[in-house]
Amino acid sequence: MSDAMITVRNFRKCYGATVAVDDVSFEVRRGEIFALLGPNGSGKTSTLESLEGLRRPDGGTLAIDGMDPTRQVRRLCNTIGVQLQTSALPASMTVEEAMRFFSSYHGVKPRFDLVERLGLAEKRTVQYGKLSVGQQRRLALAIAVAHEPKVLFLDEPTAGLDVQSRTDLHAMIKDLRSRGTTVLLASHDMAEVEKLADRAAILLQGRIAATGSPRQLTAAGNQRTRVSVATENGTLLRSAAAFPEALAAGSSGEYAFYRSSNPGRTVAAILAWLDTAHDPIVDLRVERPTLEERFLEITSTGKGAAA
Amino acid sequence: MSAFVHHLAYDFRTGIRDRSKLLMFYLFPFVFFFVVGAFMVQINPGFRAVMIPGMVLFAFMSSALQSLPSALVQAREAGVFRSYRINGVPSGSIMAIPVIGALVHMAIVTVVIAVAGSRLYGGAAPASLPGFAAAAFLSFLAYAGFGVLIGVAAGNVNASILVSQLLYIPSILLGGIMVPAEMMPGAFRKIGLLLPASHSMRLFTGLAYGGATPWLSLGVLGASIVLSFTLAALVFEWDSRAAQPCRRAYLALLVVVPYAVAAIVG
Repeated sequence: MSDAMITVRNFRKCYGATVAVDDVSFEVRRGEIFALLGPNGSGKTSTLESLEGLRRPDGGTLAIDGMDPTRQVRRLCNTIGVQLQTSALPASMTVEEAMRFFSSYHGVKPRFDLVERLGLAEKRTVQYGKLSVGQQRRLALAIAVAHEPKVLFLDEPTAGLDVQSRTDLHAMIKDLRSRGTTVLLASHDMAEVEKLADRAAILLQGRIAATGSPRQLTAAGNQRTRVSVATENGTLLRSAAAFPEALAAGSSGEYAFYRSSNPGRTVAAILAWLDTAHDPIVDLRVERPTLEERFLEITSTGKGAAA
Repeated sequence: MSAFVHHLAYDFRTGIRDRSKLLMFYLFPFVFFFVVGAFMVQINPGFRAVMIPGMVLFAFMSSALQSLPSALVQAREAGVFRSYRINGVPSGSIMAIPVIGALVHMAIVTVVIAVAGSRLYGGAAPASLPGFAAAAFLSFLAYAGFGVLIGVAAGNVNASILVSQLLYIPSILLGGIMVPAEMMPGAFRKIGLLLPASHSMRLFTGLAYGGATPWLSLGVLGASIVLSFTLAALVFEWDSRAAQPCRRAYLALLVVVPYAVAAIVG
């Protein structure tokens, strides 16, 4: 892949005798949002921090836009923007000072428009230590993107944010991607990854268990599509009717549930059966397995499949 | 405005804005000076001879030993250095800028103590202002070197406070700050040579008050400054969550070598 902005090959990271990441390889293309998923201790942060130059790999090769993060630290700083999971600014530094301070080290003009866009306009003179967690994370993001980095690393970017801030942040990430920024995102939030990421890798015990687009990842699982049906007379609730390639999955209220490996055939058969039973449909829902369900399947079985 | 100047200006402002720094840079030294100055001259008129350099050194120790090390350890533990590193702040700036910022604050404190000491309490005014400035500058750098070294080598805030106190309290008692060294028993004078305060007081006497040039103390403080900052650069860690603790931390102990030599030959 010639357009790779981030290249990770056979990456290994150990802490003493503990192997945190073992033989991990992936590439992230220019302008792509790539997510690293995994339970705590799966190696997401070790991978991210090694790519950011904060940790030294114990094996394999890492490259950001052709640069070695362990050797070309100074150049790397202006190429990447980072919102760390665990970092802080000096408690007495105000929002305005922080933007000026870090912009000066990147050699760019301070971007107060970003401060405003991230809802911190009224907090410009407030010290970092007096900001809420969400405000601190938004400030960290504003600083991370102020120098318009080619590659943006986000480690749990929406942790501690309220719904509105989360929506604003998602919009900003999408906007950055549309302008060619490559984003590597580590997250626990499956809905966020499903919504934002072009591709994702699921890390399990320091190894990649599955990789692909969120749709490919969910399609590769053993989970079946859920079909939920509510009718006027509730005949399905009282019937033991069987439908092709579907298993009855119980009921709740006026809904009967089925798990189908071929939702098209199953739905067609249900509609035909209800027509014969003269029971009009009130609601019919077909829901493919979510990334969260696929993630839980992989983490519980330890098996995944590369798409 | 360059990044360095921005950083320095910010650091200088925190010396007033940050309560713990304000306390150690200004409040504690001034309260100590005004209270101790008032009664020490009554108890011991000889104190007037050492009052101004002694109180200036006390202020230097408060800022360099009580404030600098814990500020560095806390910043590292909080992840501030990680933010600095990914944004291209050099490690040299992280160590040098707090020293320069504190130096500017200490210059202000020194002027106040020198003027008020001689006007209010009859403290001996320096015979040579350039000599006084040189002695103060070298003394501050010697203490700041210790402060930075403790800050980067200490594993946590408690350790930094403990090590700082090991230097701070003996310096007040045996460094010639409260009692002129000539009035101390020989053994205590010898032990005092293990402390930068004793050499600083000799420097003030020699350079600012018309005494002989104290070549040994000049050499010891010079070597201490070079050693402490060099060792701090070697021991510096960006991250307190490093996989393995810095095995070079013990190198910091080498900073006592010039003082040990002085105690042997002095």
